[in-house]
Amino acid sequence: MGLVADKKKVAEILNSIRKDGRRELVELESKRVLAAWGVPVNRTELARDLSEAVKVAREVHYPIVLKIASPDIIHKSEAKGVKVGLSSELELRQSFGELIDNARAYKPDAKIIGLTIQEYIPPSREVIVGALQDPSFGATVMFGLGGVWVEVLEDVSFRLAPLSAEDAREMIQEIKGYPVLAGIRGTPPADVGALVDIIQKVGQLAHEFPRIAEMDLNPIFVFDDGKGAVVADARIVLRESE
Amino acid sequence: MSGEVKAIFEPKSVVLVGASDGIREGIVSPAFFHSLVHNMHRFKGKTHVVDLSGKLEGAIKNLNQVPKGRDLAVVLLPSKLVMKNWRNLLNLAIKAIILVPGGFDQQQRKELARGVAKRKVCILGPNATAGVINTSKGLYATLERGFMPSRGGIAVISKDGAVGMAILDWARFYGVGVGKFASTGDGVDVTEADLLEFLTRDKETKVICIYLESVRDGRRFIGLIREAVKKKPVVVMNGGTARDERDKIFAAYLKQVGAIRVGIVEELLGVADALAKQPPMQGDRVAVVTNASGAATLVVDALSRKGFGLAELSDKVTKKITGKYPDINIADWVDLGIGAKADRYKFVLEQVLSDHGVDGVVVMNELKLSFLEPEDVQAIAEVAEKSKDKPVVSVTVAGGACVLVREAVKGKNVPVYDSPEKAAQALDALRFYGKTRAKVEKGV
Repeated sequence: MGLVADKKKVAEILNSIRKDGRRELVELESKRVLAAWGVPVNRTELARDLSEAVKVAREVHYPIVLKIASPDIIHKSEAKGVKVGLSSELELRQSFGELIDNARAYKPDAKIIGLTIQEYIPPSREVIVGALQDPSFGATVMFGLGGVWVEVLEDVSFRLAPLSAEDAREMIQEIKGYPVLAGIRGTPPADVGALVDIIQKVGQLAHEFPRIAEMDLNPIFVFDDGKGAVVADARIVLRESE
Repeated sequence: MSGEVKAIFEPKSVVLVGASDGIREGIVSPAFFHSLVHNMHRFKGKTHVVDLSGKLEGAIKNLNQVPKGRDLAVVLLPSKLVMKNWRNLLNLAIKAIILVPGGFDQQQRKELARGVAKRKVCILGPNATAGVINTSKGLYATLERGFMPSRGGIAVISKDGAVGMAILDWARFYGVGVGKFASTGDGVDVTEADLLEFLTRDKETKVICIYLESVRDGRRFIGLIREAVKKKPVVVMNGGTARDERDKIFAAYLKQVGAIRVGIVEELLGVADALAKQPPMQGDRVAVVTNASGAATLVVDALSRKGFGLAELSDKVTKKITGKYPDINIADWVDLGIGAKADRYKFVLEQVLSDHGVDGVVVMNELKLSFLEPEDVQAIAEVAEKSKDKPVVSVTVAGGACVLVREAVKGKNVPVYDSPEKAAQALDALRFYGKTRAKVEKGV
């Protein structure tokens, strides 16, 4: 496991959330934690207003993803707070105000920090990696394919953290939907090795920071073998008290 | 825990404490006390009986008269009386105390725990209602008469007494040998984890079976299983998690550390029997050898459902077999013919086991009573016992036939099942343990 974990930096971010009196990290913060821990995330930057957004978007390069950033809005799609694949500054300018209006309509008292401008990832196979703390056994990692596989078919696997590479590989192969990753009907195999790495790192993170009550990396885009995987959205929730 | 778990399973002296008259409360009754005393007559060590009602002939009437420093006390008294005599009991400097009845409140449990902290003693229970057994020492400290299993390499730990007794009941029913048994009950001191740790080191124990409910220190427990499977297989059955997602999570933990999980008591014993008697399986290819060709179809189905493939015998082995017995038909399975006798079973099984394309063997017998005699069945056991790296299991598709086959190979190291599904599950467990062993050796 190629671990470039910055334990100090993760602790700093988590401490600052606590100081804020919050348990819930916004997407940007969650991704910073993951990035500090060596988990690949798509480039994600905060823009507090439109002019900042325009500037940041040029750096990130179009097409981009635009998402509402609020500690009070967990389900961003439900709040109509997400636009995917904006390809020009014109589209960005049209969407910026709209997303803020949508968020206000969804939850009038929500504190809105701004919007995140994110690197757009073209459609690919999606998976989910999660973590929870079992009251008796401790840090536990969950794996599944995205969307209907998890929500309807409950096709997920679990392992106790920390995990060996063999454990992570077994938990990937254990789900019924595994052929989707192995490659069916002419599709090349997905980069399972990259997933093994993410699973191990998420497990290690949850194991070393028991104050992380829950993690949900959803979706993770996984590319063809050798091309890696990247976390496109993430949510981290802290335990109630230290 | 400050005492020795060893004293629970391997005491040289046992003190039975109860009342032969008058006291009835929950599980405490004169009848059960008499059973306990009766059951201990086979014990190879020294037994002291303390009858607080003073009526049992030859029994000690007062705890103060018990010689000090005995290994194990088995207490069958209501909680109130236990607490009243607690100091006296502790003063006897006994290494381990089993509190059979439950019904201890929070305050009383605290007091028990304080006793453990201060003295060199360990407590099993309270609510350890099924007691403790060590068949090789004739230790049979339990309340039910006639549940003593035959000797064997299987150790059973049960959280619950009733489930524990059910396991012993089925063990007797199927003739599965049990070496050590204990129920842990409320676990104020000694837990399933402590017993697991002891049994891992225990040389007599070949397989550890555990019935669990909730697990208090899951991390430690799972770590202990990880250590245990390096030495011997661990089979786990658990209750109380089926209603929520934790069932799936718990199953995943067990799989991760190499424990075999089963759903019901029969499976627990069936799987444990195979693990105790046969070597782990190193692959997926099974050879089916039968005297009833048609019924072998069911065996093949059951094996396929568990992800096994049928072994293809090499030309060399095929020729050897048909060279000697031209009427034997070798296709998907080896059909010995309905009249197969011991010599044929022995020769064919030896040949099949020598084939590099075979990882394990299922012998399926339909018992044509007029043909198959006990010595024919014993030939199977004889070959199975010699097989060091490939498991052999025996199966019938008929219940009555199974009883006869079992009787014929009683005490021999070949498991006999009464359905193809059970045989396939047994091989599945042997294959899983084979993989676990391989991982242990690889160090992953």
